[in-house]
Order: sequence, then C-alpha cells, then structure tokens
Amino acid sequence: MKTLVTALLFLCSICAFAAGNGVKVPPYERVPLGNGAVVLLMERHDVPLIAFSAVLRGGAVSDPAGGSGVASLLAGLLQKGAGARDAVQFAETVASVGGQIETSVSTESISINGSFLARDQQLMVELVADLLQRPRLEQAQFDTLRARQIEFIRAAKESDLGALAPIYGESELFAGHPYGRSVDGSEASLAAIKHADLQRYYQEQVGADRLILAVAGDFKAAQLKQRISRAFSGWRKAGTALPPLPKAERVASRRVLLVDAPESVQAYFWAGNVAVAKSDPRRPSLDVTNTLFGGRFTSMLNTELRIRTGLSYSASSRFDRLLQPGHWEMSSFTQTDTTIQALDLMLATLDQLHATGLDPKMVESGKSYVQGQFPLALETSEQWAAQLATLEFYGLDRRYIDDYSQQLGTVTAADSKKVIDEVFPPSTALAIVVIGNAGAIRDGLRKYGPITEMKLADPTFAPVRTE
Amino acid sequence: MSRGLLTGALLAATMSFTAATAQVPGADQVQAVTLANGLQVIVWPDHDIPNIALFNWVHAGSRNEVPGITGLAHFFEHMMFNGTTTRPQGEFDRVLEANGARNNAFTTNDVTVYQDWLPRAALAPVFEVEADRLRNLAFEPKVIESERGVVHSERRLRVDDSYIGRLQEQVQATAFLAHPYQIPTIGWPSDIESWRIQDLKTFFATYYAPNNCTLVLVGDVEPKSAIALARQYFESIPAHAPPEPVHTQEPRQEGERRVNIEADAQTPLLQFAYHALSGSDPRQAALELLTRILTDGDASRLHRVLVEEKKLAISADSYVDRGFDPGLAWFLLTLPAGADTKQVEAVFDSEIERVRDGGVTAPELARARSQALADFWRGLATIDGKAQALGQYAVLEGGYQRLFEAPRAYESVTADDIRKLAADLLRPGNRTVGVLTAATAAAGQGVSR
Repeated sequence: MKTLVTALLFLCSICAFAAGNGVKVPPYERVPLGNGAVVLLMERHDVPLIAFSAVLRGGAVSDPAGGSGVASLLAGLLQKGAGARDAVQFAETVASVGGQIETSVSTESISINGSFLARDQQLMVELVADLLQRPRLEQAQFDTLRARQIEFIRAAKESDLGALAPIYGESELFAGHPYGRSVDGSEASLAAIKHADLQRYYQEQVGADRLILAVAGDFKAAQLKQRISRAFSGWRKAGTALPPLPKAERVASRRVLLVDAPESVQAYFWAGNVAVAKSDPRRPSLDVTNTLFGGRFTSMLNTELRIRTGLSYSASSRFDRLLQPGHWEMSSFTQTDTTIQALDLMLATLDQLHATGLDPKMVESGKSYVQGQFPLALETSEQWAAQLATLEFYGLDRRYIDDYSQQLGTVTAADSKKVIDEVFPPSTALAIVVIGNAGAIRDGLRKYGPITEMKLADPTFAPVRTE
Repeated sequence: MSRGLLTGALLAATMSFTAATAQVPGADQVQAVTLANGLQVIVWPDHDIPNIALFNWVHAGSRNEVPGITGLAHFFEHMMFNGTTTRPQGEFDRVLEANGARNNAFTTNDVTVYQDWLPRAALAPVFEVEADRLRNLAFEPKVIESERGVVHSERRLRVDDSYIGRLQEQVQATAFLAHPYQIPTIGWPSDIESWRIQDLKTFFATYYAPNNCTLVLVGDVEPKSAIALARQYFESIPAHAPPEPVHTQEPRQEGERRVNIEADAQTPLLQFAYHALSGSDPRQAALELLTRILTDGDASRLHRVLVEEKKLAISADSYVDRGFDPGLAWFLLTLPAGADTKQVEAVFDSEIERVRDGGVTAPELARARSQALADFWRGLATIDGKAQALGQYAVLEGGYQRLFEAPRAYESVTADDIRKLAADLLRPGNRTVGVLTAATAAAGQGVSR
C-alpha cells in the first residue's frame, strides 16, 4: 500500500566519490514499510544491470536447538518453487532472462542476492516477492535438497579439507553458544530435520519485520519504490521474536580438537578466540593490525610460514564480526611431518606480535594498504546493494564507509599496541583445531593442551560432548 | 628478427574503435599500442573508483614445458615475487603494499598472468618494480629451495588432498597423446623436486621478454599518460628472440579413453573431457551456449535430469578451455555416496546423444543467449573483470576487439550451429572418461595414496 510508505531521502552533500581519499556512499533512499520491512534504493547507471540483496534477520542463530541447518535448508528451498511457478518453471524463468538468484545462510541471516538485466526489473521484483512470501516448500523438494546437502558435506571431506577447518574451529570455540552452530548443518543434524521443522521455522522466523531489501543499479528510484512497496507492503510479520543472543565467553586457556583424517597428506590447523562485534569503535586499528599480522601477502604469518620457511602455501588471520562479539582466527596448513614445526611457528609469531607490537613504519604501510584496497569492495551494484544491507543490518550509518579512510589515516603504532593487548588473544588462550593424520601428529600436539579427538568421518563438526 | 631492427620502431599505431563497439560503454576509449621492444600495452579508462587493475599477460604456460621441467611456468609465477638483482626477496610486495596495492598471479596451460590492483597514485612505483622484475629477476639457490616447498604444499592442497583434482589431472594427461596440454600446470611431483637453476634461467630468458607480454591497464587512468609511463619504464627492456612456436598438434582421437581411480572415497566422481576448440575459433560462442544449455543453472538439461529428477548426481558442471590450441570441454559430475557410476554414465550418455541427434530448442537457445549476455555485463562491472576479459581476448581469442563483438557473436549463433557442433565434438570417440570409485576389497589398478 502506498499509504504505508514513509520515504526518507538521504541526500549526499559530498556527492559520489572523493578524489583519492576513499569512496563515499552515493546518494540512496531509505524506505521503511509499515510492516517493518526496510527498502534501500541506490541508482547507478554504468551497466544495464540491477542488483539486489535481500537479508532476513535470523540465520543459523535462529535454528532450533539441535537443529543446525534448518535456516540453511530453508534458504535453499526458497527458489525451489514459489508463487505460480514450480521449481522447474521458476528456474527457467530466471535463466530465460539471464537473471541470477543465489540464496545462502550465515550465522545471523539468510541472504538472497542476485542481479537481472535492467529491462527485467518488474520480473525481478515479482520473483523476489514470490520466493520470500509464497515459497512452496514442497516435501519432495525438501527431501532432495536435504539429501544433497548431506552429500556436499561428504564431498568436501574428500576434496576441500581447508574449507572445513573453520567450521570445526567455530564449533569448538563457541561450543554451546549459537555462534558455534555450523551454518549449513552437519550430516547428523541435517538427517534429523523434518519437513515440519522447516515449515515451522518459516512461519516463526521469516516475515516482513525481518527483511532488509537493498537494490542498486540501472533503474529509476521512484518507479521501483512503487513496485516494491506494492509487492511487499502486504506481507505478514514473523511469528515470534528473534531469540536472545548472549555474549560468548573468551577461552582462557588452550585446548586442542584433533580431527583424524587418516588419508590426508597435509595437516590443516586453525586457532582462534572470541574477539569483537561489528560495531566495535576500534575497527580502524584492528583492521590495520590484522592486515599486518595475517591479512596480506607480507603479513607476519605469511612471511614466517610461507616466504621464510616454505612450510605452507598460505597462512592468514581474520576477524568475523557479528552483532555480538564474534571471533578472530589464524590458520594455515603444511605437510603431515612438519605439522608441529608449523604450529609452533604460528604461535611464536603471535607471541612476537604481543612482545614487540608493530613499528610505526609498518603501521603506515598497513594504513596505505587498507586505504588503497577499500574502494575495490565498493565498485559494483552487487557490492553496493550488499553494503547498504549490511549498514542497515548492523544499525550503522553512512559514516561507517564515508569516514573509514580518514579514520585509518589517524591510526598510530600506540593504537595498534592497545588493540593487540585488548583484543588479540595471547598464544596461551586459544581453541586449536587440527585436521590431519592423528596417528602421526597426536603425540606432538599434546604439549599445546588437553586434546579432544574425533574422526573426519563422524557425522558432526563437534565431538559428542558439545552437540 | 634482431633486436637492432626493433629498436626505436613503433610497430603499431595507437588504435581506437568506434563503430563495432558502440554498445559497450567506454569501449571507444580503449587504446592499444606496441612499444619499440614489442611489448603490447592496452589501456581502458574507467573512472568509477580511484583504482587501477594492471595485468601483465606473459604468453607462457605449461604448454611451453617438456618432461623434466613440468610445472616450471607455474614456478615462475612464484619466483617473480622473490627478488631481483636490485631488490631483495620481499621488496616487490613491500613496495606494492606500502603504496596501497595488492597483487596476485595465476598460471594456466597457455599463459601466466601477474595482477596488481592499485590506487591510481601508485602507478609509477608499481610500474618501476614490475619493470625491474621483468628485467632483473634473481635466481638465489636458497630462495628457490624454499619456494619449491611452497609449490609442493600448493600441489598437496589442490591435487593430492583433493579427489576432484587428482582425477582431473589423470584425465587431462590421458586426453592428450602428443600435445603439451597433457602436462599438469602445477607440475609432476618428481619435476617439482628436480628443477635446476639452469632450467629456470633458460625458461626466463626464453619467455619473459617484453615482446612475449601483453600489459593491460583498466581503471582511473588516462590512456595517454599510462602509455607514456609504460614507455618510460618498459621500453628500454630489450626484446629477446621470439620463443619457438609450439608446433605439435594433437592427432585426431581414435577412440574413447578411460581412467579409473579406485580410492578410499565415499563420493564417486565422473569426468568427461572432449577435445574441443582453440580460443580464437569462431565456434567458441556456439560451444559456450551449448554448455550453458547442458549445465548452467537449475533449468539446464544435465542438472535437471541428473541432479533434480533422477538424483544420480549432487552437481553437474562444465568448463571449456579457451587457449592458443584446441583444448578440452569438460563435464564434471559429483555423485552421492554409493552411486552406481555405470548407471550415471548411461544417463549422461543418453542426454549427450539427445543433444547430438536432436539439437536444442528455440527457448533453450534464447535462454542461453540471455545468460551469456547478462554474464558478459556482470564481467564488465569491475576493473578486475575488464582487465581479465580484455587480456583473455587480446592474447588468446584473436584480439581485444573481439571482446566487444561477443554480444553480437551470441546473437548470431543458430540452433543448427549448435547441433552441428555437438555432433562434431560430443562423440564417444572424441573423449576421455574419468571415473573415481570407492575401493573394493581387491587391490585396485589405479592411483592410491
């Protein structure tokens, strides 16, 4: 209904892009609908495409207890038949105009991202409205998708061990906390999910008050606003409130989860601890410091594990920042018989960060690097749609992007030292995960702390004690 | 051709295109020039963000290797970051990163591509270190030994610890009897362990010459000033004698070949590799549309039949080589645990037969065209995508101008073109089949780890 729409136009005073000093958010319009949905519209006319990012609050943290993977299965089922189209017709319709729709789930949200040629604006709105408001969620499609998702996990265990280490890692670090749920479920949790669980989840956890719909690209905002308002204003709200999200506790000592992969010729290792939330004001100092420790090619970690010793193809560290404090992790891999040497070196590098901090020249280099690369994440309509949705999701405003480059410019070595002390864990307080040939590395790992052991073939991502 | 003859001579005038390229915004702004030493420079201004993508396409890949030095082209991808006679190991990356630039590189059968993504103010310092490593690469024994370990780790990650990678390596090696496309780009392990410094020096002298490179710049830069800077930093690097052309042609395949790997795996795999086309073959557009009809998206034939309807596979993907010489068209199936590979292969075969005999429908063709066109625009939405596409067409597909003709090329493909192409390429006698199955009690004939 048009009458439900309140439009707030955000006009940009320093329009478009400031020269050389980072990127500013181009003008966009924020349109809250009466039912709680928030629509964000940014016109960009460089290529004849329209991109959208529909984000539903919830995600894996709103999975029922013990039911990891419900939100993920729902995300996958949304476009397996919706509105007047069955699964085949829906797929044919999207493909016939060269459209793309991808659904995914993360710890705190379900996302539907995609893009269409500008001429297909009306169809795009119809399809997105259908898949959100009128998904068919048929039993047969559910059975097929659930079986496939279980097989995908089995396939990853045979061809992509590196991608699994963080899943075991988060599950170990956040054991018992919603942030520890494997977002796409495990073989065991998926097998236990029933079709009725999914329908209940859709009624309770999906609705207009959970929706942020950001659109960027080659359209006229006034026309698209009308179309979207018509298509979404009548949607119901979610049946229940979002589950409360407690703060996770940092681990205070060191422990090891060993995942036995007897066939593997390398060991994949991961270490992390609880760190900061998305809204943390220390973001510029944290980003510069992490970049220098493990976020670029010449980082301390990659220098030690790759450049100087040749132990690994890659070593890196990163933050996962969420509504509540998420985690910081570092990870690498090496051939089985150098596992302990490489893990020792990773921990010693973290010790060095704490002991000496970063010298001012390094900090300057890190600032330039983060400033120089930042615009590359703000180039396409897809990226802008996702950025607008992210700002809205975390309750951040445009200064999060507009002021970032300038804030980076003020970071000092002392700021960096402060966040090293406050946020980066000492090497004595880490959850460590190692996937590898347990028979060859078990004894060597004992010095790091108490070991819990499981098998790669086990159908969960956590040992029995935590699931 | 001697170096003396090249010096000072401008081989090609600056070119710009208007008529054929009007439909891609900014296409008429592209300028290309060949420096006196043979280095081709192509510049496409795009002022959306204050950054530049600078890609150096070296015309050397695993196609230029022989037994004993397999993997060497890829090893250079690593060595090019490891120091020159004027700058120690690590300096290249330190200079780039301190100037706000990131870099990476990749190697294929045909080319090695060095990529820099930089803020526009960093162009001169980046040119300086790029020119330095092309002119003065160092060969430090200690550095080489350490990098050998890194490459071996990469091999373990991509091939040895990946059943998909292991099967693909075996299928590719089996599909070619004569042509060096049989060589895995990462290299055979025994060669990775055995390269000598002299092998490296010879390879560098042969292929890392300005006249064997194409430099592509896309982003917040004016062509005139970028070309002037390129002259300043690169033009004094001497040209080398051009490398010997690869003259081996793969003989026509005389019948289906098969590779069987028995592994301690739960997830069986099926791969089909058909001899196909070179990058510059005008039938590439038809082949792309054909493979889209078979595997692009949930509405595609193989996905619908194998994954959705019969549930015989959990994924069905395709990939087409677009190199200097005729490469492979790949179909990659991942099967659920316990699947009967023979049954899946029979269904795959009947779908391939159907497209070979009956061709494709008008709606299928229209759909594949729309998908190709939309993906074309998606690819040109970033300076990175533009630099990739421009270089791919310039080096491997008959000239960068053909990038801008791609939309028209998709439009002009007919259903009959596709049926003929399917009949020509998708024959059992023209393919290699790879099967990875769970090991049985009996010892297998295949590779095991």
